[in-house]
Amino acid sequence: MAQFHLEMKVNGKPIALDIDPGLRLLDVLRDILHLTGTKEGCGEGECGACSVILDDELVDSCLILAPQAHGRGVITIEGLALNGELDPYQQAFLEVGAVQCGYCTPGMILAARVLLNHNPKPSKQDIAKAISGNLCRCTGYAKIVQGIEIAASLKETKAGVSRA
Amino acid sequence: MPEYNIIGKSVQRIDGPRKVSGEAQYAADLDIPGALCLKVLRSKVAHALLQGIDTREALKVPGVVGIFTHVDIPGINSYGIIVKDQPALTNRVRFKGDAIALVAAEDEASANKALRLIKVSLQDLSPIYDIREAMREDAPAIHETGNILSVYKVKKGDVESAFKQADVVIPGSYTTQRVEHCYIETEAGVAYMDNDMLVIKAGTQNPHYDRRDVARVLGLAMNKLRIIQTTTGGGFGGKLDISVQCFLGLAALKLGRPVKIAYDRQESFVATGKRHPFFIDYITAANREGKLLAVKVRIVGDTGAYASYGPATLLRAAVHATGPYEVPNVDIEAFCVYTNNPFSGAMRGFGTPQMAFACESQLDLVAQAVNISPLEIRRRNIFQKGSLTATQQKLDVSVGIGKTLEAAWEKALQVMPGLGDENK
Repeated sequence: MAQFHLEMKVNGKPIALDIDPGLRLLDVLRDILHLTGTKEGCGEGECGACSVILDDELVDSCLILAPQAHGRGVITIEGLALNGELDPYQQAFLEVGAVQCGYCTPGMILAARVLLNHNPKPSKQDIAKAISGNLCRCTGYAKIVQGIEIAASLKETKAGVSRA
Repeated sequence: MPEYNIIGKSVQRIDGPRKVSGEAQYAADLDIPGALCLKVLRSKVAHALLQGIDTREALKVPGVVGIFTHVDIPGINSYGIIVKDQPALTNRVRFKGDAIALVAAEDEASANKALRLIKVSLQDLSPIYDIREAMREDAPAIHETGNILSVYKVKKGDVESAFKQADVVIPGSYTTQRVEHCYIETEAGVAYMDNDMLVIKAGTQNPHYDRRDVARVLGLAMNKLRIIQTTTGGGFGGKLDISVQCFLGLAALKLGRPVKIAYDRQESFVATGKRHPFFIDYITAANREGKLLAVKVRIVGDTGAYASYGPATLLRAAVHATGPYEVPNVDIEAFCVYTNNPFSGAMRGFGTPQMAFACESQLDLVAQAVNISPLEIRRRNIFQKGSLTATQQKLDVSVGIGKTLEAAWEKALQVMPGLGDENK
């Protein structure tokens, strides 16, 4: 099969690769770029474990062909911490105990980030809607919602948080 | 109150930072250069004898390095936490999804192609899906020991006399469904040889038990095998059983090369344990004040093709059948039964949630019959300090459930102001 020349920015870094055009964005991130913080849970867009931010939008990277990301910017969970310092979303999830097995956590945190970029003061309902595409089997969601509320308040008080 | 450094403090989990940053490595995240991809050929029928497997065409697929079946198992081809009844690769199919062959290939596409080219000839046996059918004396035995795997009984007092003296005797039948754990991380792992030491890294809840069973199946001394639990993306009881461990060990040992396996969601659904479906017949006797006098309970748990944690689950079902209530006379029997359904094992609550559904439903019916509120009937029967359980354990230290009951009712009124009073 003819190779596809893929150029995209991943976590701010320009990437150029020749790939099989049938690869999913998830495969390129995990298997070629070794960004394994993005997880595969179902492979069919049900669970949201593979969520990444494509430009300004939360997407399931298992449902996006890698060539669809050509010329665009991708943010994965690895792109959030700056010089080893956790960002407010990560900090908030840790503080309230929103992390148990951790497998849904990267997707949840990215969903929170997209929400707060669009809506800095979300209600509980806004939060529930924003994470409705991300399944968690451990927490019962209460702590995750609380973590996102705290992230919103941290973000408000802490200047200089980078935008997706 | 004395000041402690942990108790009473909010302590951040030690694996938290790695999990929020994406650095935590789960089994499928492990990258071993040159690792072979493993795939499992699974049965599409529920009950059959294997007559032959022809792997010649499959072995010709470029990239295929090895194909293994039951004849390649070096040790004893059976494992299981309580009963060693589950083969790693089977020559007798007991459920739709039983593992028949293992393919090792350089890449996933070649492994999948080989799976399609393996020819399996089976002699069909009639499958038993219905648990009552499986319990009949003339039912074909799914395992040599027969279909009734275990029976646990809890008996106390004189139930029949209590039934005669009771003002109300309420019978009820309950069924509960099979449930998949659906941890977001599917089963995965890697294995490699470190000189003469076999190393298996996998998502699991049970590395020590895994080690015993893998050593048994592979005929290895325990000190030639390491099982290392990777960060595990949820288990809920479902990762207590062997899943990928024997496959990984077998291929790495036979081929001397690193190997990797990851189930997709469908394989995780098909191949792994479930919550036991229960069939419960429950008779409750009480006096006109709603004080419980006796229960007679028959529980049948469908453990499917293999025992897994079935006997322990049904034991827990038996001892929890009365719920957190005082019942002076009990006659409880719990049966764990094989069928050709997917196998059932441990899942959150371990048989107790199924019993709570039946027991609590019965209490509501008794409350209705003696015309008191559902809350009141629980107040009148709930365990207190000094209560005796169905197994004659005296609860003589601390029993908090009475307070919990009242607190739950207060909270219910708070969050649902339209609820009205408890007699409504």
